[in-house]
Amino acid sequence: MSLASRAESSSHTSRALERGSGYPEGCPSPLKAQAREQREGGAERNPGRSRGAARSKDRKAERSWVRYPASLALIGLATGASWLLRPILEPANLVMLFLLAVVISALRWGHVAALVAAVSGTVLFDYFYIPPLFSFAISDVKYFVILTGLLTVGLVTSTLAGQVREQADAARRREAYTASLYAFSRSLAVVNRLEQIFEVVAHRISEIFERPVLILLPGDGGLAASFSSPGIVFGEEERTLANWVLNHGQPAGSGTQIMSGADMFYLPLTASLGVVAVLAVKAQHEEESMFPEQRQLLEAFVSQAALATERALLEQKARQTELLQEADKLQKALLNSVSHGLRTPLASIMGTLSSLSEDQAMLDEVTRRELLDNAREEAARLNRLVGNLLDMTRLEAGTLRLKVEHCDLQDVIGAALAQLREASRRRRIAVDLPADLPLVPMDFVLIAQVLVNLLENAIKYAPAHEPIAVQARLAENDLEILVVDRGVGIPQDNLHGIFDKPSHGARATGTEGTGLGLSICKGFVEAHGGRIWAEPRADRGAIFAFTLPRHANTANPRR
Amino acid sequence: MDNNGPRILVVDDEQAIRRFLRASLTAHGYSVYDACTGEEALQAASSVRPDLIILDLGLPGIGGVEVARCLREWTQTPIIVLSVREQEPDKIAVLDAGADDYLTKPFGLGELLARMRAALRRATKQGNGPVFAAGDLKVDLAQREVLIRNRRVQLTPTEYDLLKALVGHAGRVLTHRQLVREVWGGMSYEDVVHMLRVNVSNLRRKLEPDPTRPRYIVTEPGVGYRLQTEP
Repeated sequence: MSLASRAESSSHTSRALERGSGYPEGCPSPLKAQAREQREGGAERNPGRSRGAARSKDRKAERSWVRYPASLALIGLATGASWLLRPILEPANLVMLFLLAVVISALRWGHVAALVAAVSGTVLFDYFYIPPLFSFAISDVKYFVILTGLLTVGLVTSTLAGQVREQADAARRREAYTASLYAFSRSLAVVNRLEQIFEVVAHRISEIFERPVLILLPGDGGLAASFSSPGIVFGEEERTLANWVLNHGQPAGSGTQIMSGADMFYLPLTASLGVVAVLAVKAQHEEESMFPEQRQLLEAFVSQAALATERALLEQKARQTELLQEADKLQKALLNSVSHGLRTPLASIMGTLSSLSEDQAMLDEVTRRELLDNAREEAARLNRLVGNLLDMTRLEAGTLRLKVEHCDLQDVIGAALAQLREASRRRRIAVDLPADLPLVPMDFVLIAQVLVNLLENAIKYAPAHEPIAVQARLAENDLEILVVDRGVGIPQDNLHGIFDKPSHGARATGTEGTGLGLSICKGFVEAHGGRIWAEPRADRGAIFAFTLPRHANTANPRR
Repeated sequence: MDNNGPRILVVDDEQAIRRFLRASLTAHGYSVYDACTGEEALQAASSVRPDLIILDLGLPGIGGVEVARCLREWTQTPIIVLSVREQEPDKIAVLDAGADDYLTKPFGLGELLARMRAALRRATKQGNGPVFAAGDLKVDLAQREVLIRNRRVQLTPTEYDLLKALVGHAGRVLTHRQLVREVWGGMSYEDVVHMLRVNVSNLRRKLEPDPTRPRYIVTEPGVGYRLQTEP
């Protein structure tokens, strides 16, 4: 009796736990089924095989609280039927009815119910049918044999029936585990990026094991959390333990020999590269530690995750190498175009100086003037190029600090025109602004530089007699500024790449220039939270336009 | 005649710049002395007693800003700063420290000579006189009258104060902060800097023939404004 009652009470706890978890009906939770078994089962369970989910039909039968009363009722029925058949049948034959009840209990309600039936049946049979009637005493040895037979057959039947059921359950659980592992590896197969993989891993593991998950990736600054479920604290102690796992490639933490007092269980994600990451799951308080079966499943999940992580890391590395090569190529292209851009103006300056000092007698006044003007323009261009290089460096180093103040666009355009005095001397630049333009927040110097670069670009690509226009339009949220020329225009396929840093052939159209100016424009405008683009003009020429947000909160905060 | 012109102290650590300035300024009738460090500059300033100092910002040892500050402790000799482009905060610092003007390297000689003339004029003619005239612009501080081509221009009181501040330092650059202090007195810079921009814009609309290409009130990007004396 005591065995049955213990089973009963523990199964109550199990049901209570299940109700509390809110796990959806019909959705297999391998761990819960397993935990329940663990509690009900007892020592004879084979830990290696007993993982998996019980299917809902059996679960309902098992779960329903009626199974022990039902088996008792069945025994009661057998007792009643025997009473009716007593005049016809010997007690030795009546035993068959009790055995039938035990077998039915075993098949329908499991081996604990069968045990209940066997024991209670033996007691009842003794009481009602073994002389002396209505007492537990046994008068004859042959009745003792009958009773012993009944009890033994009952016990054996219940054990056998239980084993059959368990094997079926185990098969189903294995199937469920295989299915969940399969689903896991399938969902890992479709993601490539590391963050996605970690999300899938963390999501799946925390769903199936119902515990918060933490994934740590080693980086330059040591282990860093790549994914963390809410409520996880990653402190100094956790870091130490995770580092140990990373270095030793062995699990640690709760439920292991190493730091078993920790409140998380740490597993290394080991692949052919070694330990690629560390995964930690929170230990739950109602269980002292993880069951070995759970841990095996977790380890299976983790080795899948390790493979996927390694794949992503290798891919990432390959991409980085490619990027590095690309950057290297770009660097060379930039260096080429910069040295070209520096030498061209220097050549004309040096040429002018040498002809002035050496051939002075042969030069008339007009030629001398022309040479000098040209040299001065070239020197100004050289100066702007150096400025651009400095700006580029600031942009690339990320040290650009905006000093955003409310500025008068007309003032900004005026400053840009003043800087271009030498280059724009022979050009017509029309400025056309709305009369009631309000002040707009921007960094005066940087936006003036953007205009200088755009205007210089227009001067370079438009014939000298064609006018260049600077216009502005006020929209609800931003200010749009346009530099319009009637030059050679832009090839359609270069509209987007035109703001990139110079690469091979991108701007090698015969006119000098490094292409640096436009990429600086892009950097400066985007630092303001604006957009910049180029479009061909309907008939001839190009429009370079950019926007600035009218309200400072969309731009970078002032330092 | 060499030694009769105004004495100019050139402080620059670049020999090429010193050579270029010595040659060009001597040709224009100035007596040129030079120094290549801040320490030398301070010493030369007291021994040579120059009429004007041309000061580079990026000096080894004591920097240009510090030199300007030290000089201002005992002399009002005009200081014109030469600086390379990337240093708006430095320019503002040195102007606030007491320098009169600054020029960006590279610069044209004509520009430098104009600034020098303006600075020397301010230094010799204290108080500037009641009437300022440049090009078509005439400002009569005694009459509180502003004329363009002899036609009166109506200004608001703030616009007039702003113009008066610029006239008071005609030819030299005034930082935004200095202008705010002179025109708006005790108010905080952040609160009124946009009023400064609006008033400059309005003044230009009333005074300049083409406000986009100002001849009188010139913007020094990121630093401040200057009233041109030789438009």
